[in-house]
Amino acid sequence: MKSRVPAALAKIAVDSGASAGDDWLTVPVARLRETLQALQAEGFTTLAFLTCVDHLARSDGQVPFSGPPDAETPVRFELVYQLRDLEGRRLLRVRTFLADAPDPSAPSVQDLFPPANWDERETWDMFGIRFQGHPGLTRILMPDDWVGHPLRRDFPVGGEPVDFSSDHEQWQTSPPLA
Amino acid sequence: MADQPSPGVGVHSPLDGEGQGGGLTLAQTPAGADDSQILTVNFGPHHPSTHGVLRLIVDLDGEVIRKVTPVIGYLHTGIEKTAESLRYQQVVTVTDRHDYLSPLFNNHSYAMAVERLMGVEVPPRADALRVIMDELCRISSHMIWLGTSGLELGAISMLWYCLRERDKVLDLNEEISGFRMHTSYIRPGGVMADATPRFLDLLNTFIEEFPKSIDEFEDLLTENPIFKARTVGIGYLSREDALRLGQTGPMLRGSGVDWDLRKSMPYSGYEKYDFEVATDAGCDCYARYKIRIRELRESIKILRQAVDQLPEGPINVDDRKMLPPPREELDTSMEALIHHFKLFTEGYSPPVGDAYAATESGRGENGCYVVSDGTHKPRRVKFRAASFVNLQSTETMALRGMVADMIAIIGTIDAIMGDVDR
Repeated sequence: MKSRVPAALAKIAVDSGASAGDDWLTVPVARLRETLQALQAEGFTTLAFLTCVDHLARSDGQVPFSGPPDAETPVRFELVYQLRDLEGRRLLRVRTFLADAPDPSAPSVQDLFPPANWDERETWDMFGIRFQGHPGLTRILMPDDWVGHPLRRDFPVGGEPVDFSSDHEQWQTSPPLA
Repeated sequence: MADQPSPGVGVHSPLDGEGQGGGLTLAQTPAGADDSQILTVNFGPHHPSTHGVLRLIVDLDGEVIRKVTPVIGYLHTGIEKTAESLRYQQVVTVTDRHDYLSPLFNNHSYAMAVERLMGVEVPPRADALRVIMDELCRISSHMIWLGTSGLELGAISMLWYCLRERDKVLDLNEEISGFRMHTSYIRPGGVMADATPRFLDLLNTFIEEFPKSIDEFEDLLTENPIFKARTVGIGYLSREDALRLGQTGPMLRGSGVDWDLRKSMPYSGYEKYDFEVATDAGCDCYARYKIRIRELRESIKILRQAVDQLPEGPINVDDRKMLPPPREELDTSMEALIHHFKLFTEGYSPPVGDAYAATESGRGENGCYVVSDGTHKPRRVKFRAASFVNLQSTETMALRGMVADMIAIIGTIDAIMGDVDR
């Protein structure tokens, strides 16, 4: 299916299409801000949400999502920006892929779309994506002293110890664990 | 520009800055000659008017608000992480629970996203039942808003009248789904059960009687001088600010923007019903009150039409790979037994791809973004919460207002903290 991507972006987009009826285009992360600025001028003035998808390989080694066609390094994180054009009643999804680096980062767009401010803080909190140029990139949902980024696919599930009252003698008298 | 925090969007962590964190309720005066009149107070998270556990760090100059920094996350329950470890048909139960006042809308967005991934279309009767339940849910959600807002602004009896009406909606939920609040009624492929004759009877009575209750509410509040003094001109949010801050729902329509997903990008057959989108250019708390009252009346109009035109036919897609076969077929058909076994041991697997679907809830755009990696569990489920986005306008509305106006402003956003923190 051919998606209806604005002509001005044909050169920037490395890939485009439609998934389940929604148009999308993929851009390199270096040209993300440029793309969103151009789309804002095209009428896509509202950012419905931005989020991240962790494409960590499954246990059988398969990565079901291929990422951009010309990627040299294996990609892991996908940033998704869902834009809405209130006048033209259109939706467009902009996606960009980040490599599996220890400290993945992307440019902040909260000056273009103010609601992205909290979305970016949430994405940092949950996935550990660092947004360059964000004025206060701190945790938003998890406690400030939390270690790790819970929505990453390799974050352990159910690892939090529970204090039961039947163990009260132990946790009331023994010294705290190292 | 990039270094400047945008107005209206809090960016400060409770732990940065001059050691604001830690204290529970008492004030702290920052050092420095210029700021010597500024008092920093914690508003919430246990203040009764914060509708749950919203904390606002407010800088006050006397009674005038100079800065508001919302702190959220107290009700974070990891709904999105939970959804990743459930099969597609099981995720419906968690969609009920983050925005606990609009479970049907979240069911609906999730169901539409999964249906788009699977490439199926639900039959017309299912669409009509979805519309009926959505509109009932909008009424019950607005009832809680109206009751609590009235209560906070001095009209204490509003809460009792509104809860009485909401209880009738909960009775309807119970009759059709067996559950009063977290119905999980709308699910991928259709709806859970057909409308019973008793449900339609109760619904008809409700449609007849509810407009009289709306008149009663209006008698109590619309021209009430105390209520007007607390809401007219309070919480001003200009059209430009509402658009810039990505507001949806009554927050956007209260600033004069004619945008309602039911009209602008119709889903589930909303284009077939004759109703109006309530807008008001007042830009204040009173305008948003009037909009919600008008939405109640429009919901009744939609309900009337939906009940009268309720089509006959199936309420689920005829796809045995997605929904279990009827019970009686299991006794006679080997094929049905296999499908039943496969569905309840493994579930179904949409093709690789992603889909976003959104519904117009009582608070705005409640959407759901689902990513499939070809297995029977979603790779990612993201809920686009209207409350999360709308809450970011708190500072813009509250700046230079009085601290007492904060109560009206928090009420007018109608943020559900479960939805904000998910």
